[in-house]
Amino acid sequence: MSQAALLKPAFTDTVHDAQQVFRRALSALSEPGLVQRVEGAPAMDRLSPATYALCLCLLDGDTPVWLSPALDTPELLANLVFHCGCPIVSAPEQAAFALLAGNEPIELSPFNPGTDRDPDLSCTVLLQLDDLDGGQTTTWQGPGINGTRAMRLPLPEAFWSQRAAHGFPKGLDFFITAADSFVGVPRSTRVIHVMQEVF
Amino acid sequence: MTHSVSEGAGDALLARRQQWMKVLAGAGSRLTEYSDDLRRTEHRFIRPAEVGMVMVRGRTGACGTPFNLGEMTVTRCVVQLVDGRHGHGYVAGRSTLHAELAALADAHLQGDRHGHWMTSLIEPLQREQEARRAAKEAASAATKVEFVTMVRGEDE
Repeated sequence: MSQAALLKPAFTDTVHDAQQVFRRALSALSEPGLVQRVEGAPAMDRLSPATYALCLCLLDGDTPVWLSPALDTPELLANLVFHCGCPIVSAPEQAAFALLAGNEPIELSPFNPGTDRDPDLSCTVLLQLDDLDGGQTTTWQGPGINGTRAMRLPLPEAFWSQRAAHGFPKGLDFFITAADSFVGVPRSTRVIHVMQEVF
Repeated sequence: MTHSVSEGAGDALLARRQQWMKVLAGAGSRLTEYSDDLRRTEHRFIRPAEVGMVMVRGRTGACGTPFNLGEMTVTRCVVQLVDGRHGHGYVAGRSTLHAELAALADAHLQGDRHGHWMTSLIEPLQREQEARRAAKEAASAATKVEFVTMVRGEDE
């Protein structure tokens, strides 16, 4: 009974809401760094509306999910299992999707980057931040970006170097979210640190 | 020992719930008469009624391997009453109204007024369904053909 009492409604119009979020997720990965918004999605416990909407859209019975300790609450667990039917794994190596929060140390090495033969088996990371702006300037290049794009995600340099540890086509794809917005960072995007000029 | 006792109680509860879920699933449009009563308590839909497909699997004989018989349309719904109780409705077909009412009835049947809902809703519907089934069986029993083997006298 106590487990059941944690459940909350998800999308109001399951099919159309999920389709719209999926379209935005495609756009996010095809134009890395372009901010996408989800409208009318509910928040869930510690998950922001954008993170929860991506979860409801992308997770199902075939996608083992790993939750970082900061997000691993009974309420979130009950609702993900009920609405998505996704198995929750305790080993990050087995995860097809990982849910991380930006306010805790981020360790990307355990996640599966796929293999050279099957790069599609890699883990997709949903990383939730407080804001998509306000960090050090980074320059993004790659498919879907006309020239370069300057981004100021509040992430440490160590995060970007961990992300670049795998040789293409292996690698991790990211959705980085804050409140009702998110950006996509596919493995094909090169992120270059701009040295801050010291005056 | 206590473990097996509590397990037995759980099984009994499960069997009773399966029984009323079966009656609700077979009730069809008869449930609409109870619509006002069922909706009187404040409630919200955790999973609004949605139509989908399930694969029905069959097995021939006791040792046959399962095979896919075919897909059927199923409508499901999950409702939460104001006191936090949940009701699940799974019905064959595309009637979202039927699924909603079945879910509401399931939630009410797990509550304090279980007896009231059993006598006013489940038992009349169950009697009706049993009578219909018995009439159908009687009608088909009348067409039963008895095959009789004649003695052919080969042993003599």
